[in-house]
Order: sequence, then C-alpha cells, then structure tokens
Amino acid sequence: MTTEYALRMGDGKRIFLTKEQIIADLEDGSADAADLGEIQALSGDEIDKLAEILMTPSRMVGVEPGKEVPVTHDIGTIRIDGDQGNSGVGIPSSRLIGSMMHERAFGADTMELGHIDYSFKPVKPVIAQEMQTMEVCQQNMIVPLLYGAMPNMGLYYTPDGPFENPGDLMKSFKIKEAQESMEHAAEHLTRDMVWIMQRLMSSGADGVNFDTIGAAGDGDFFASLHAIESLRKQYPDIYIEAGMAGELLLGLHGEMEYDGTTLAGLWPHQQAPLAAKAGANIFGPVVNTNTSRTSPWNLGRAVTFIKAAVEASPIPCHVNMGMGVGGIPMFETPTIDAVSRASKAMVEIAGVDGI
Amino acid sequence: MSKEEMFKELSDAIVSCKKDAVVASVEKARNEGIPPAEIIEKGLAAGMNEVGILFERGKLFLPHVMMAAGAMEAGVSLLEADMPKEEASKKLGVVVNGTVEGDVHDIGKSIVSTMLQSSGFEVHDIGRDVPLQDFIDKIKETNANMVGMSALMTTTLPGQKEVIEMLREQGLRDQVKVMVGGAPATQAWADKIGADCYAENASEAVARAKELLL
Repeated sequence: MTTEYALRMGDGKRIFLTKEQIIADLEDGSADAADLGEIQALSGDEIDKLAEILMTPSRMVGVEPGKEVPVTHDIGTIRIDGDQGNSGVGIPSSRLIGSMMHERAFGADTMELGHIDYSFKPVKPVIAQEMQTMEVCQQNMIVPLLYGAMPNMGLYYTPDGPFENPGDLMKSFKIKEAQESMEHAAEHLTRDMVWIMQRLMSSGADGVNFDTIGAAGDGDFFASLHAIESLRKQYPDIYIEAGMAGELLLGLHGEMEYDGTTLAGLWPHQQAPLAAKAGANIFGPVVNTNTSRTSPWNLGRAVTFIKAAVEASPIPCHVNMGMGVGGIPMFETPTIDAVSRASKAMVEIAGVDGI
Repeated sequence: MSKEEMFKELSDAIVSCKKDAVVASVEKARNEGIPPAEIIEKGLAAGMNEVGILFERGKLFLPHVMMAAGAMEAGVSLLEADMPKEEASKKLGVVVNGTVEGDVHDIGKSIVSTMLQSSGFEVHDIGRDVPLQDFIDKIKETNANMVGMSALMTTTLPGQKEVIEMLREQGLRDQVKVMVGGAPATQAWADKIGADCYAENASEAVARAKELLL
C-alpha cells in the first residue's frame, strides 16, 4: 500500500496525500506563481526539499540550527485578551502584559503596540491613550516596540469617511471622479499616519509597522509609501516595517505612480524595491492562501513568490505567516503542523530574513 | 472575414477598453449579417470575460474594467434596434449581491457586481455588513432569481448559511439560486450549507451565474 502523509487543505481540513501527489501539487503551485508573477519556478531540488519538509513525520518541525531568524508579532498586544473573533485566547490582561508576555515568555524579537480596531484613522481620537500606553510599555520592555496599525484607506470613503465611495462611483461609470476620490483619500491617509506617528515617536516608540498595506488597492500603497518617505525624513533612525495585505496590488485607481512605477498590478518582488526606496527598513511580503487547494499547492506557490521577493528586495524581508497567508490554512488558530512546516520552508528555501 | 475572425475582433475591441473600437466592430459585424445574439455572446461577452481574467492577473485595472463595460453597453445598445423588443430588454438574470452582516469587506463583492452587471445581469448591490433579513427583503422586492453572498472572515461565514435557511423558511429557496464567495469559502462549504455554487473570483462568478440561470 502506498504511504500517505497527513496534510491539510487551505481551509484547514485534514487530507492524506502520497509523495507523488505532494510533488505534483508543489510543482503546480510553483508554476502558478511563476506564471502570474513572471518569475522563476522552484527547481527540482527545491521541490524535493519542500516535499521532505511536508512529509516529516513529526507533528511540528523547526529550522536547522544556525538558520534561526528574528520573529515578530503584529497585534500581539491584544492577542492574549482578545477572543476567538480576533484570534485571541481570552485571558484578561492589559496591552502591556500582552507585550511583555510576547517578549519574555514567547521569545518575540520585536513587538508592536496596537489598539483593538487596528486601523490608523481611529487612533486619532484616542491618541493621548496610545501615547501614554506606549510610554508605559517602553519603560517596561527591552525589545524594540513599534506602533502597529493598518492604513485601511477604505475608512476614508462613505459611509465611514468624507470621500465618496469610489466603488459606487465606478459602478456609475464616473471613473474620473472615483480616481479623484482615491487621490483625496490617499492624501488624508498619509497626513493622518504621519501625524499619529509623530506623536507616538514623541512617546518613545522605536518605529512603526504599517500592516496590510494595499488592502484598499493601489491608493493605499501610494499613501503608505508617502508616509514612509515623510517619516524617514523626519526621523532618520526610525525603524519602519512595510507589511502588505495581499500578493497582488489591486488596481482600483490604476494610474497612481511612485518613483515612476505604476503601482497597480505589482507582485511582491515588484513591491519590495518601492518600499525600500521610500525608506522602509523591512518589507513584509504576503502570499494569500487558496482555501480550495492543498497545503503543498499553496506552499509551493507561496515559497516561489517570496523567494523572488527576497531576491529582488534591497532590504530584509520578514514574510507574513499566519491565518490565510504564507501557505498556512485559513483558520482562526492555524495548526502547528502547517505553521511550522510553512515557516521552515520560508526560511530554508525562500531565504526570508525574518517572520 | 470569417465569423470566428469577426468574434475575435469584437473581443479584442472590448479588451482595448475603447468605445469607438467596439462600436466600429459591432457595425462591421452587423453589416456582415451576424445575428445580434451571437455578436453579444461570442464577441462582446467573450471580450468581457477576457477583461475579467486580465484584471485578476493584474494586467488590467478597475477603471479599464469599467471602460470595457461602458464600451460593451454602447455596443449592445447599437444592436437593440435589430432585436425583438422583449429580447433587447431581457436581462440574463436578476441578482442581489452583498457582503453579509458583521463583515465590512467591500472590494471583492463590488468587483463581482460590476462583472455580473457588465455581462448582462441586472444587479442589485446591497453593500457590505448587510443585515441578513435585507437579503430576503431585496430578493422579494426585485423578484431576483439569484443571490450572491460574500464573507471575508471565518467568523462571518455562517451568515451565508443563515440566509439559505431564511430562504427555506420563507418558501423562496426553490426560486432563488444561491452563490457564495469570499476568501474562507470553498466548494465544500457551499455543499455543506446547501448553496447552488461557489465562485473563487469575479470571472468565475459570471460563468457560474450563466450556468445556473441560462
């Protein structure tokens, strides 16, 4: 009887595959990334190494000694007391305790302070609270503590913000008006992100993590790059992490440019050099998990994209690994077998500098 | 020019997103005696399908999709004069589309609405974070024969199941096809909750809707 290995679908469901099926799916996933991104597919040796990682009988795996990388956490400050709705574990604790637990108990190399909504815009009305908390956390912690939030440009459109929703305008064929709305929103978003970070830097923040850049398309990336550029000029030593929302930068505006490059339609290996150019220290590439495909297919695809991003990036790449990204199934609390295998693959094959 | 070449020209004109090119190609096809239904289905709609694929591959962007949809609309209105009145005004189907309650994700659902609309469906996009009862109310109001439900979070996914149950309770399930989508949704989920189909992206949503309603 052919040996079958316990793996998962992209939605977390347990499946069993033979070695041949695993290799076929790895190759297929890698070919998909190579086709979309016009990048190199993984070599036969790399596919074999990936298969070996996936077929390891242990429940969890780790990197080889000497290949350890820094690990950081987004939203970790509220992961302890949050409930399952935001991937938390429901233990009553403050954000300071959440941060200190990550630093001292879980081995996080850097941490971030974030608030429950986790978008930049809603920080404005609670900025004094965020400044105070940042100061208290800094007084109690050793590892670099960033402030983290999502640019989330969607909050600047109706019904949440002042500018007409470009989705509605587009549907009425008001293309120019939709583009103008995105331009106005981007301008306000840049201004807000810089304003918020000026205050948090005055409270001792070590830097900023822009999390899920591009969630609202190319305008979101445009605004974030300009905020990074502005903060780098004002604070030459600020530590800036630019983490993306998805693998493909959706072209909702279509014509926005940064440094002469059209932002719409960029893949991770094309996004990284722009983040570096703007002044980021770290780029956080993302590859989305397809819930209808197997973990070998998703991992082969994710490693191919990330390897190309690492090669193209002038700055270190800390890949986003978690629920629904980086070849990990979409599940509130992703299983350790999938997380550890995908993480090992990202370090040993894609060559990421951190997670 | 063969019919196949003419269809290719029509499709390419749509992909170019230029209204003038589409109108010129439609005129040419009319003069060659190709029936309007074939011009639309095998030429213009095929082009829109290609536009959807190019959008998903990051080669075309949303303004292009809208320009192509606008060009297609201009082409179809030229042909309406040649079509029987009831056929000219006939829509492929009436679709109520929205993101379920508790979920504020908007972009994917809006792109699906746009693609369905530009493919000839009458679409009622009821927005995001939509109370589940609103889906039922809108279906009744518009006499829709399909409902599309998007959910981008595992925590909001059960809303799709609840709407299907509400449709059953109100005796509407047999007259309304149900399509589900969103990152955490899968074919297995669609089967489990008794949806009629699952679509992974916007162009697949159009294909599935046509399969179910035509």
